[in-house]
Amino acid sequence: MNAASSEIQVTVAGAVVALGIAGAVGAVLWWMLHPPSSYVQRIAAEAESELERMVGSLIVAFSPEIDSSHMMVLAARLARGERSELLAIYVIEVPYTLPPDAEMESEERAALDALGAAETIAQKSNVTIRTETIKARSTKQAVLDVAKREKANLIILGSYREGKYSGAPLGREIEEIAADAKCDVLIGVEGKHGTLLIDESGASSQSS
Amino acid sequence: MAAVKPRPKNPELRRAMKPWGSFSWGYSDVGADIFVGLGLVLGVAAGASNVAFLFAGVVYVCIGLAYTELAATYPVAGGGQYFVMRGLGDFFGFVAGWAVLLDFTIDVTLFAWSSVDYTSQLLPALVNSVNPWLHFLVVLSLVLGLCILNVVGVRESTAFNGAVSALDVISETCILCLGFLFAFRPHLLIHAMQLNWPSPYQLMLGTSLAIISFVGLESISQAAQETQRPASVIPRTSISLILTILIFALAYSNLALGLHPWHPITDAAGHPLQFWQIFPHNADNQGKAVALLSAQVPYYGAFAALYVPVLGAVLLLISSNSGVFGSSRIAYAMSTSNLLPSTFQRVHQKFRTPVISIVFFCAIAVIELIFAAIPGLFPSFEPIYGRFFRGEGGLGFLADLYAFGAATSYSFVFLGLISLRLTDPLSPRKFKIPLNIPLRFRGERVEFPVVGVIGFIGIFSILIFTLQTHPLGRLFGPSWLVLGVILYLVYRNHRRLPLLRSQNRDWRKAQVEILRKAGEFELMDEYTANVKASDARRAEESVP
Repeated sequence: MNAASSEIQVTVAGAVVALGIAGAVGAVLWWMLHPPSSYVQRIAAEAESELERMVGSLIVAFSPEIDSSHMMVLAARLARGERSELLAIYVIEVPYTLPPDAEMESEERAALDALGAAETIAQKSNVTIRTETIKARSTKQAVLDVAKREKANLIILGSYREGKYSGAPLGREIEEIAADAKCDVLIGVEGKHGTLLIDESGASSQSS
Repeated sequence: MAAVKPRPKNPELRRAMKPWGSFSWGYSDVGADIFVGLGLVLGVAAGASNVAFLFAGVVYVCIGLAYTELAATYPVAGGGQYFVMRGLGDFFGFVAGWAVLLDFTIDVTLFAWSSVDYTSQLLPALVNSVNPWLHFLVVLSLVLGLCILNVVGVRESTAFNGAVSALDVISETCILCLGFLFAFRPHLLIHAMQLNWPSPYQLMLGTSLAIISFVGLESISQAAQETQRPASVIPRTSISLILTILIFALAYSNLALGLHPWHPITDAAGHPLQFWQIFPHNADNQGKAVALLSAQVPYYGAFAALYVPVLGAVLLLISSNSGVFGSSRIAYAMSTSNLLPSTFQRVHQKFRTPVISIVFFCAIAVIELIFAAIPGLFPSFEPIYGRFFRGEGGLGFLADLYAFGAATSYSFVFLGLISLRLTDPLSPRKFKIPLNIPLRFRGERVEFPVVGVIGFIGIFSILIFTLQTHPLGRLFGPSWLVLGVILYLVYRNHRRLPLLRSQNRDWRKAQVEILRKAGEFELMDEYTANVKASDARRAEESVP
C-alpha cells in the first residue's frame, strides 16, 4: 500500500446512498425500540402516573396511640423513588382539662424519639424530611389540618400501639382520618403476629 | 382453604430482555456474518457479488419473515427445530434440528477462525498463510477456551452483547456512509459488473456463499423465552435485524465493487487494481474483508484501521460463542422432546451447565477445524484435497458446510411454516407474513403463505447450488444427516418410541401454556376463544 491518495470526490449517487443508509438504519432502529404497549403495560403506566400524582407530598402521622415507625420506612423509600416531599408529624392530644399549650413532658419526650427515628430512617434512605410536633385537642383534626395546609397527596399511618387495642379493626381516629381526609390514606395494619413488612425468615430467626 | 402453590425449586428463565437486548442477541450472531461472507463472495462472484447478495438477501427476507411469524406465534426456546417438529412431526423436526446443530458446530470454528484472521490485521504473525500452525493453535485454543467457559457457566451478558452490537451498528453505518460519500465511484461499479461478470457456476457458488451472511436469525427465536412480551417485541426486532443486515450486505458489496481506494492498490507488476480484486485467490484477505475495506475509506480509514479489526474479532468471537451455547440449547430442547438421548439434558452438578452437550459439540467443532486446517498444516495433503475437493480447505471448507446446514434447516422451516398455517390456524399470529391465499382446510379457514412457497423455492435452489458447487458440502453435509438419522432411529427404537411417526402431544394445552409463560395474556384469551369457537362449530356441523 502506498501513500494516501489525495483525490477525494463526492458524487451525487454516493451522497444519496450515504444519506439513505444513515436514514434507513436510524429509522429501522427507532421503530424497533418503540413497540406499542400492551393492555397490561397500559394498566401499569396508568398506575405509575397515579402513584406519581399521589405521592407528591407525603405526611407520616404519629401519636401516642399510632405507631407508624414501620410505615416510615416505606414512606422514605416511596419518597426517594418518587422524589416526594416528606413530613413526619407527632400529634399530642391535649385533654380539655388542660390548656392547649400545656406541658406534657412524657408525651413530648416520646415525640422526640419518634421523630428522631423518622429522621434517621429518612437519612438512611437519603431523603429530606421535615418534622413537626403538634399539640391538639383531636388527633384526627390535627392530621387533617396539616394535610390541608401542606396540600398533602398521601397520609401514611401505622397501626395501634400494643396494649391500646380496643377491639375495633382499626382505631377510631385512624378510621376517622381515612373517612374524612381529602387525599389518599395509606394504613399499615400489622398482621396477627406482627410480621407485616418483616421478612418471615428474619422474623423467625429473631424470635429464635 | 386456598391451595397455595409452593415456591418452585427451579425458577423459569426470567423474561428480562427488552427490544435492544433481543436485537443484539440476533445481531451478535448475524451481524458477524458479513465480516466473513463479504470476502468469500467477492472472491468467487467478482463483478456480480452485489447480485449474489441481492438474491441471497431476497431469500433471507423470506426466511426472516417466516422466523418472525413463527417465533412470535410460538415463543419458545427451541427455535427452528421446534417449529418444524410442531409442523411436520418428530422425524423432520429432528432432521431440521440436526442440520442446525451442524451449523452451530461450524459456527464455532468458522467464526473463531475468522476472528483470528481479523486479529492478524494488527498482528501479522497470525496470518494463516505465513504461520499456519500458529493460526491453527490460536483457533484451537479459542474453541477450547469457549468450551471451558461455557462448561463453567461464564457467558457474555446481554449488556455486553448490547454494547458490542451498538458499537458495531454505529461503526458499520459510519464506514458505509463515509465510504459512499468520499470513495464511491458509480463508473467503477458499472465497470466491475460489465467486465468481470462471473460464469453461472461462479455466480451460483457466490450466491450459496452469500447466504452465510444471513445466518443466525435462530438466535432471536432461541432467546424468545427470555424476551419480554415476545409476541410484540420479536416481530420488531426480527424485522429490524433483517433490514439492518440486508442494508449492510447490499451496501458493502456495492461499495466494494465501486470503491476508489484511499491508498492505491497495485498487483505484483505495479498495475493498479480495483479494491475487490484483492480477494480472488487470496484466502488471507477473504477472511478480513471488512477491515480491509474500512481502511480504504478516506480519513476515517486511518482510525478504522485500528479499531475495526478488534471490533470484528470481538463480534466474531461472540458469534463463535453463540455456536457453543446455541448447540447445547438446541440439543437440550431436542432431548426434552425425545429426539435426542436424555444424556444431552444432563447438567454438571457443580456448574449447572449441560456439560455433555457442550463438550460433544465442541469436539465436533474441533474435528471440523482439523479437516479445514489440514491442507495448510500438511502440504502433502494438498493433492488429495485438490483431487477430491477442488482444493477447498480452510475458510472455504467451513463456509461449504455452513451454507449446507443453513440451507437445509431453512428449507424445513419454510415447510414447517406452511404446515402450521394449515394445521394450526387457531393460534393467534401477531405478525403474519403478507401475501396469503384464503382457503378452507379440514373445516377451518386457513391462509396459505405465498411468501413461504417463494422462500422455499429460493432456499431450496440455494441448497441445490450448494450441493452442485461445494464438493465438501456435497460429501460431508448429507453424511452428517445420514449419521444423525441412524442415531435417531436407534435411539427411538431403544426407547420404544414411534420411529417415523410422532409422539402424541396435546398441542392445544401446550400453546396455552406457552402464551401464559410469555405473558401474552390477550393472545392466550384469543387462542382459547378460537379453540372454543372451532369446537362449537364442529359440534354443530356433526349434528345431522
